[in-house]
Parts: sequence; structure tokens; C-alpha cells
Amino acid sequence: MVSSHQDTDLCTEPEVLRTNNELGHPLGNGGEEFVDCYSEADISKTLAYAYETNRTVNIISGGTKRGYGGQIEQADILLSLKHYKGIVEHSVGDLTMTVRPGTTIKEITDELSPFGQCLALDPPWPEQATIGGVIAANDSGPKRLLYGSARDFVIGTRIVYADGRIIRTGGKVVKNVAGYDMNKLFIGSMGTLGVISEITLKLRPIPKYEGVSILHFQNGQEMAIRKFAVHLLDSMLEPVCLEVLTPSVAKKMTGKNQYALVIAFEDRERAVREQEKWIQEHIPKEAVLTIFHQHEASEWWGQFYHLGASRCNTTDDVKIQAALKIGSNNLDVLDNLQIACQLADDIGVYVEGHGGVGHGITKIFMEGFPEAFISFVELLRKKVEERHGYVLCTHLPFVLRQKISVWGDKPEHFFLLDGIKQVNDPKRILNRKRYVGGL
Amino acid sequence: MLFGKDRKATKPDAIIQQLMRIVGQKEVLYLQEDLISYECDGYTMSKGMPKAVVFVNNTKQVSDVVKYLNKQGIPYIARGAGTGLSGGATPLGGEVLISLVRMKKMLHLDLENRKAVVEPGYINLKLTQSISDKGYYYAPDPSSQYACTIGGNVAENSGGAHCLKYGVTTNHILGLEVVLPTGEIIELGEDGVPDRPGYDLLGLLTGSEGTLGIVTKITVKVLKNPEAKKTVLAYFDDIADASQAVSEIIAAGIIPAALEMMDQIAIEGVESAAYPVGHPRDIAAFLLIEVDGVAAGIEDQIDEILTVCKDNQVREVKVARDEAERGLWWANRKMGFGAMGAISPDYLVQDGVIPRTRLPEVLTKIAEISKKYDLRIANIFHAGDGNLHPLILFDARIPGQSERASSAGSACLKVCADVGGSITGEHGVGIEKSDEMRFIFHDDEIEAQTKIRAVFNPDDRLNPGKLFPQPGRCVEVKQEMSKEGL
Repeated sequence: MVSSHQDTDLCTEPEVLRTNNELGHPLGNGGEEFVDCYSEADISKTLAYAYETNRTVNIISGGTKRGYGGQIEQADILLSLKHYKGIVEHSVGDLTMTVRPGTTIKEITDELSPFGQCLALDPPWPEQATIGGVIAANDSGPKRLLYGSARDFVIGTRIVYADGRIIRTGGKVVKNVAGYDMNKLFIGSMGTLGVISEITLKLRPIPKYEGVSILHFQNGQEMAIRKFAVHLLDSMLEPVCLEVLTPSVAKKMTGKNQYALVIAFEDRERAVREQEKWIQEHIPKEAVLTIFHQHEASEWWGQFYHLGASRCNTTDDVKIQAALKIGSNNLDVLDNLQIACQLADDIGVYVEGHGGVGHGITKIFMEGFPEAFISFVELLRKKVEERHGYVLCTHLPFVLRQKISVWGDKPEHFFLLDGIKQVNDPKRILNRKRYVGGL
Repeated sequence: MLFGKDRKATKPDAIIQQLMRIVGQKEVLYLQEDLISYECDGYTMSKGMPKAVVFVNNTKQVSDVVKYLNKQGIPYIARGAGTGLSGGATPLGGEVLISLVRMKKMLHLDLENRKAVVEPGYINLKLTQSISDKGYYYAPDPSSQYACTIGGNVAENSGGAHCLKYGVTTNHILGLEVVLPTGEIIELGEDGVPDRPGYDLLGLLTGSEGTLGIVTKITVKVLKNPEAKKTVLAYFDDIADASQAVSEIIAAGIIPAALEMMDQIAIEGVESAAYPVGHPRDIAAFLLIEVDGVAAGIEDQIDEILTVCKDNQVREVKVARDEAERGLWWANRKMGFGAMGAISPDYLVQDGVIPRTRLPEVLTKIAEISKKYDLRIANIFHAGDGNLHPLILFDARIPGQSERASSAGSACLKVCADVGGSITGEHGVGIEKSDEMRFIFHDDEIEAQTKIRAVFNPDDRLNPGKLFPQPGRCVEVKQEMSKEGL
């Protein structure tokens, strides 16, 4: 049991704290002072000090989510978890692993692959994105259709609370209903309830064989995509993803400037080929099919996971990049992509997008002039909300976050969210104003 | 139920009368004789008498009842079918039970978007039955699925035999309508759309054992039936061989839909109950293994499973010939708990979780506990996900046996906690295991949770006294008993 609170001299400035030379980052979410944490004790000491001295703390790791939310350009302290990395424990026979937050997704993949295991979470930018950030922002990829998202993998955490205390949630076993499922509170909470210092994850065996089938649809045949997706979803097939690509993404990924439907299978070879046979037998007349296997398939995914904006990749002085996440009913994904493309044409921004017709999450990347973004997001949000969906801005320069609502309106039960924030971080020092409703 | 003079003689008090005004005169039970069947749920070791049972028909009635009880300062508990196994719906004494069994409609079905909306009193198995003709099903399948309600499943985050591959209730809940302890009605995960911004209250409420709110509407995920299923039954003479086979099946990269184990005493029980299969009585354990998915991928996996079993000295291993045989094997397994009634006057089900690789040593320790407390213990095990159900057999008529059974149960949970496991995998903490929460959480961690409860339920009026240990109580008592060798 760790009780580092007692070991900490609360009002002593931690030795690890130093002046931050990187000021005025275009994505904001910085800090006047900077601390690079190498241990849980570093995190705990820093927070205990900040809590006692009423200093605000921004949290960063790989930096791929730096443009995601946040109304404060500089907190008092920027706490980095980037170097608090590594595997604490990998219980091969139990298919579980405990990792530190600064470990990148790629490092986890590399560590697990000799054991024939994997973390079935496929967010973009695996070399940069760290598990702590992915969990805190609840990021996911196309394969969540079959494998699920962070809330389905995280079985336990250690959290450093705002006052420096260390609280464990969940446990290290894959099935556990003892007490409240506190893990869930921290997934997607954007670091506003505590700093994740350790994560225990459920793993899966690496599939024996993989294939990617891409159906290219002629422009104007979008209804055929929907019809085919509905047919496929009602069949015996078990795809790991059913992702629609806008023509702009399809062009980058396949060379064809048309809507495409990506259907991936990961199973025994015979099962993969049997399912691909079904696709070939049911291929709509408007579509052309390309199939990749094994090495080619993983290379294809490698390229896919590097689409869109990651850090601050401002293209030139005037144009900027941004990214959105849309949540909707599964089959509204296709409409949302079309609406986004149409709006982009009307308003004059460049967009790329993809979304899962089996899981309801769409991602949009944009490039253009700031003024155009504002109307683009407003109009898109209006359209999406008409069908009970939502639009979040997952990557925006700091100045634009002052003008565009990152999270949309507060939910009606906001008072509960505020109550939880008040319990975990009563002085509101952690990632202040980073989350919905200014939490 | 009693009829005649006695019944007429008792007049409803003012509170009962007001409740009757809200829900209707016939919808409130308040006579002692009517309340007896509500003094506990499926966990029968602890009982308390409710003040009344109120049958609600809609969300507004739930809200009105809650508002009224709040005003009167009367505690209350939501109850479904009462099949819970940890006392989550058991009154401590004097609470009003809000029964949700009349709210049992399916409100909406959207197969294209793979979701259904049901009321909390909807019975788990009925959901699968009502969509199976279209080729769909609802995955969480607790053994009590023929009776338990989905509202109760949400409260307990219920599991089932097939959660190894498909997950437990929380992995299948997309949205909830909830009546808060203020009577306010909120909606979470509106329209079943995933990842809505805001802390994951859906995840927090699922498994909160009815202490944060009363769920009045549930949006669940429905799944397409797998193309094929194959089920294997393997008999082992040594439990260590069976455990090793479990590890090797997982190591082979197979995720079975279910991977169950039963030991000799459990087999004695199920073979004496309603669905005997003819399992040999002298084997140490059997494994029931089910693989499902795309048909073309199943045969290879079955071959590998058979090889693993043979490599581990299996006495006999067979694949179910047809659906009838598969159905019988599962009926036999799902009777597991109830079957103990055939070989013992009383039994206590425990629900520990361990890293599955620690099974042999944990079973040895459970055998020691059985010897120490002089009570037979059967083991039914969701071996794939490490969820162990020791069934402690006892006779409540013999003085001291109930207490000994309870202490033996607690000792089993301590063993699970000590190997890095948990005190409950799917039955919940309830009344039964609230003290054992201290086996796995320290005071700050328990306080972190009770403070979250206070955000929703500040007066602890909704399902009071559940889930968390009362400051410094029974643990000491149990430790004393254990010191005395009881």
C-alpha cells in the first residue's frame, strides 16, 4: 500500500520542478513551471505541493491530445508523464498487463507481440500516443467495432488524486464488481479527476490471420454503401471494422477519389477467407473490391493510423489544422460524413473523414482558414445534433478554442459531473477548464 | 397471505395511504404476512422486514414515490426479481421496497443500429427469446436469466457463463434513464450514442448495486447470433490437469465463448438435480468449453482444444453431437447452485475472482478451509475469467453451522484477495461482503467511493447500509471467530 502523502513535505517545492522555457505553445495547455515525472512519487509530491499552494496543474504525456479542450493557455505547472513509462507487470497466462502512463501504444504492442498477445486498442499515432493519454481522452480506432474501447479493456488503475493521495480503482483480475466501477470515471475524464499513474489492461491473443477488404463505390452511390453495410451487419460475418472513408481519405489510402468501405477480418485463416468469399459473392454492382492480407494488411493500417493532425502541425501562417469527433447512431455515420464533405465544399475547408457504421464514431480532420472553421463546426454540430449525435473538437489551436465550443452544450445532469469534480479535486487544480462545461 | 378478520383489522398508516394515492390502492403491500416474502433476496443469510412494497408502473410514479419518501425521511430500495445473491435488495428493516416488476415492456427495438430499449423489470432471457427469430441475442446470461430482470443486472453488473468472450453487463449498456434520490429524472447515453462528453456515469451506475439511482429505462446492445457453436466436455482425474488445460487453451490464442469447470462435489450436486448428464462421479473435475464464431474457424479451434485436453491426461473428452446434447450440458451446468439443494439442506454461494493461473493453489487452500470449518465445499468455476464460486454446504438447523458457513465463505474470499484477486466477480457486495471490501481496499479508497455516493445519494436513504463496510464492525468479529477456529 502506498501512502506517499505522509512521506511528502507538503509545502516544499519538489526538486523536479523547473521553469518552463517553452512558453506560448499554439495549442495552449502549457505551464509556467514544468515537471518531468519519473515515478509515482514524483507525481504525488508535485500534486501535494500544488494542492497545498493552490497552483493549477496541466497534464501532458505524448502531446498528441494537447489541442483537445482547455480554456487556459498556461497553468502554474505542466506535469509531464512522458518519461514515466514501462511495463510494471505482464501476466502472460492471465492475459493482463500493468503499465505506466507514459508508455506508448507502440511500445506496448512491441512488448506483447513476442508472447502472441496484444492490446486490442487502435488509436492513431501509436508511436507518440501514450496509454495514459489514450485512456484519459478515451481515444479509439476503427477496430472498436469488435474489440471495444478503453472502457472494455481497463480493469484497474492507480490514480494520484489532486491532494497527492494514491487511490486504486478496480483490480488486476478481468472480472470484478467489488465496489463502484471507479475505473470508468477516469476513462475519458481528460485528467480532471486525478493523474493516472498505473493502468492494468485486459489483453487478447494476436489474431492468427488478418485481411482488409476495401470496397470502392462510384461517386453518387452512397446509398449502396448503406445498403451493403446493413446487409453485412445482418449476416454471419464478424468484421473487426466496418469503416467508411471519405473520398479524400480513400484517395490517400488507395489512390481512388471515391467513398470506400473498409471491412477487416482477424481470425483463423479459413474464417477470414470464408468471410472474404461472402464479400466477393455479395459485392454490389456499383463497387470494386481490393483485398490485402497479413503483411500488406498491417502496412495498410500503419498508414491509416497516421492520418490527420497529431501535435501542432500548422501548415502555414494562415491555414490551420483541426480535428473533430462525432458520436451518432451507427448508421448515421455515413450521413454525417456526407454532410461534413458537403459543408466543407460550401464553406471552403478541406476535410478528411472516416467513421464506423458498426460503432457510431466518426473522425474528421480539417485544414483551412480559422473563420471558415467556426461556421463549419457550428453548422455540422447543428445537423448532427438533429439526429441526437454530438460533435467534439479533438484538436484545435488555443485561440480557436476561445471561439468554438469544444464540447458542445453542458448535459442536463451536469450538476452530477460538477459534484464528482468537487469530490475528487475540490480546489480544481487539475487540468482546470479542460473538460465539458468548464470542469 | 392471510385472509379474514386479521387482515381487515390492520389499517394502513398515513404513509402507506399516501403511497397508495401515488400508485393505486392495490399496488402497495403493507401487511406483515404479505411482506414476509420480501425480507430477503437470493441471499438468505440475512433478513429484514420492509415497511411496505410499492409496485410502480412508470417512471413518474418512481419519481413521485421517491420524492415523497425523501420528504418523510424514509429509506427505500429498488427491487427487481429478487434473485440477487449478495443481499442487495434485502431490507435492513423499515425500508420501502420499490418493486419494478410491473415495468416489464420492451419499448423499442432497432436491429439496424443493434440496440433495444427495455424497462427495468424486463426479464433477461425474454430479450433473447424475443429477438432470436431475427438472428439476434442479448449476451449477458446469468444462470438466473429465466427469472432475473435487466434492471437488476444493471444494478449488479451481472455476468454469466458467456462473459469470457462477450463481457459482462456494463459492456452491453448503451443508455439509462435514472430516477435520482432527489426524484429528478436524468438520461445517460441518450439514444444509445457512445462516448458522450462527461464523466462515464453509465459505467459508474452499472454495478452500483442500487445505491446511486433507480434505473427506469435501459438501452442495451444486441448482438448477431454467431454462425456456429461447438461445445466440448472433458473429464479429468486431476484438477491440476484440468487447470493446466485451461491455461493452454488460452495460450493457444483461443478465446472460448465459455470455459467452465466443476469439481467432484459440484458434479455430485448437478447429477442429483433436475438435469443429470451422466457425468462419472469419480472424476476430479470437468471442463465445459464452448467456442463460437464463423463456422470455418471453429473446427481448427475444437481440434486444438481436444489436443490440449489429451496432452493433459484427460480421461474422456467429447464434442456435443447436437443442439439437444449441448442444451442438456448447459442446463446441467446452469442448475449448479440450485442443485446443491439436492445434496445439502443449505448452501452459501461465494463469488471470488483470482488470476486464473493461480487456480491450483487456491483450490488447495479452499480444501483446507473446508477441513478447518468441517463443511463440504463444492466449486463451480468460470475458469476462463478466474471467477470462482465455492458453494459451502451446511445445515442451518444445526446450531453454529450458519455462522461457520459464513466464516468459511469469508475465508475463501480472503484467499482470493491474497493472490491478487477480488471478493466478487458478478454477485455484488450487498450486505454479504461489505466487510470483506477491506480485504481489497484501504480506508481512503473506500472513502473515495462513499464520497461519490454522496454526490448522488447524500443522505444514504437509497439502499442504505449496502456495499461499504460500516466503520469498524464485523471484520473484527469474523477475525475473532477465525482465531477460535470456528
